Amino acid sequence: MSKQNSRSIAASLATAACSLLGTSTVAPVQAQEEPGWDFNTALLYYGESDGRVQDFSLNVLANRAFVDDRILSLGLTVDSLTGATPSGALPFDGPQTFTRPSGKAVYTTSANEIPLDDSFLDTRVALTAGWAQPFARLYTFNAGLSASKEYDYVHIGGNAGLSRDFNKRNTTLSLGLAYAQDSLNPEGGTPVPLSPMLDVGDLSNRMGDQDKDVVDVVLGLTQVVNRNLLFQFNYSLSQSSGYLNDPFKFLSLVDPVSGDPVSHTPAPGISGPSHEYRFESRPDERTKHSVYGQAKYYMSGKVLDLSYRYMTDDWEIDSHTLDARYRWPLGDRRYLEPHVRWYTQTAADFYRISLVDGAAPLEFASADYRLGEFDAITVGMKYGWKTRSDNEMSVRLEYYMQDGTAPSDQIIGNQAGRDLYPDLDAIIAQFSYRF
Amino acid sequence: MRRLVTARLSAVVFCLAAAASGCSSMGVEPWERDVLAKEEMQLTTDPVEAGIDDHIYFSKEASSGGRGFGGGGCGCN
Amino acid sequence: MDMTRLRRPGASAFAALLLIALVFMPGAGRAGESALNLDAYRGQVVLLDFWASWCVPCRRSFPWMNQMQQKYGGQGLVIIGVNMDASSSDAESFLQDYPAQFTIVSDPDGALARQFEVEAMPSSYLIGRDGVIASRHLGFQVRLADEYEATIREVLLSQKE
Repeated sequence: MSKQNSRSIAASLATAACSLLGTSTVAPVQAQEEPGWDFNTALLYYGESDGRVQDFSLNVLANRAFVDDRILSLGLTVDSLTGATPSGALPFDGPQTFTRPSGKAVYTTSANEIPLDDSFLDTRVALTAGWAQPFARLYTFNAGLSASKEYDYVHIGGNAGLSRDFNKRNTTLSLGLAYAQDSLNPEGGTPVPLSPMLDVGDLSNRMGDQDKDVVDVVLGLTQVVNRNLLFQFNYSLSQSSGYLNDPFKFLSLVDPVSGDPVSHTPAPGISGPSHEYRFESRPDERTKHSVYGQAKYYMSGKVLDLSYRYMTDDWEIDSHTLDARYRWPLGDRRYLEPHVRWYTQTAADFYRISLVDGAAPLEFASADYRLGEFDAITVGMKYGWKTRSDNEMSVRLEYYMQDGTAPSDQIIGNQAGRDLYPDLDAIIAQFSYRF
Repeated sequence: MRRLVTARLSAVVFCLAAAASGCSSMGVEPWERDVLAKEEMQLTTDPVEAGIDDHIYFSKEASSGGRGFGGGGCGCN
Repeated sequence: MDMTRLRRPGASAFAALLLIALVFMPGAGRAGESALNLDAYRGQVVLLDFWASWCVPCRRSFPWMNQMQQKYGGQGLVIIGVNMDASSSDAESFLQDYPAQFTIVSDPDGALARQFEVEAMPSSYLIGRDGVIASRHLGFQVRLADEYEATIREVLLSQKE
């Protein structure tokens, strides 16, 4: 009999809440084998085109099974992030100069290029710990902690969950709760929302450390339909409050007729922005509702994994995600797994491509492309095999692409005909080893 | 005879209780879970990969999470 | 219908066990073959254990059952492992890793499991010398092994011939 990999624990909200900073998720508890350690490791490369974000990460999840289905799960992720990300400013016919978030220097974007902020050089370390065990035969309890640290960001969180089986374990009801507290302390401080970008050395519009907290609740129902088909259905509620802005994102202040950014002259002898920019402002609360359904269907050795998620929130963002994976075994020891994911979202109601000079002041505005309207698709392939010692290895290669649309009613003057939405193209490459 | 009637009534009561918990007509017998016990039939087959993907999509999109936990599998013990 | 009588847990449990036992009386029971004739074991105490190759707790129960068979075989304990695998090669693989020093029979169609109304994997039924189910346990937990053993001893002693 081949070595059976242990399953890792259901620290349920590790998925929902801890996905904030990518701490490893854990899967439903399975009865475990001889007590011992089981490792699931992965090396990841994520790279966007055009000099944008690149990320290398090492992920390790270690499970130790104890007698009678009790499991300890420990996870570590180390990420190294470099590259540039769109700052929210609009491209225009001339070059633009921006003050760095630290306030210590400037950087310039050439004409007709989407302005990118390349201050992203960071290493992040994340840790998770979880415990799962059954009690009273039909109940399973799990609890976990997570923490992560990067240069200017700290996250700590906890989660707990309970599941109960019915109908000879064909039906499972589960409830999960997670709480996370994050704090942000960027170099130079967090900018006052909607305040202007100032010259180098001027930090008068900066505030101190900021916090946010997130509470997540998940209600789940898993149902065995027949010998080959399993369904899961979840409802999740997520409530964030506190500082929800991205301190590095801002908007261009544009002329109401031409749509070009308004000029700015730095103080004599000092470097500063070439035009007027305003830091973004988001509400200090966000409530998200998601419903998720998943089916796993076994067809003589092949497995189809199909899932759909609908998300809606009080920022007026709605999204649909459809994910399909097909595992196709090649003999006993190898498999291929193609994967497709479709995603679409609507824009937040305060998403703006730019701020109009002289227009009525807005309470909230953000040009962050991640809050805009876009479609995305991921296509990939995974190839897995068992080594001679019956350990598992796999490689996967995926291509992720986002294609966004700027709201037509916000396009002014010369902005039409410019590339207003920073589309994204990325490669995901992963090598995984389970032993 | 009365014992037999009581026994059958007990069985009926047990069945009604089971039906009342919903979805009771669907599913398999406990010994028919060989396919469901397979690793590739778990709801999250690779938790590390799921975590990596969740982190990527959380960083690049406005939605996150959704997955749950619990259920499926061999249903042992 | 006398509902008050049904609510007494003792009465319900007895009724359920009697229902199961009735199935084994000659002439009673449902249609469907089982590969096992329990009448042949009358006079001995039978531990009937339903297992499968994919059932992980079964890997822990086998060494324990081997121990029980060895320890109490002389007093009339017979352990019978009922394999539920659809494919006998899966069962053979399991038995190579976890050898059984007790009788193994197979029930791939689940007829015997249905007769015993198996509701968990693994499940063990302790059948007394009179052919009546004395006890059952759902699942196998290492920390309860002593309790399981105590029940076996009790049944062996209380029904000594």
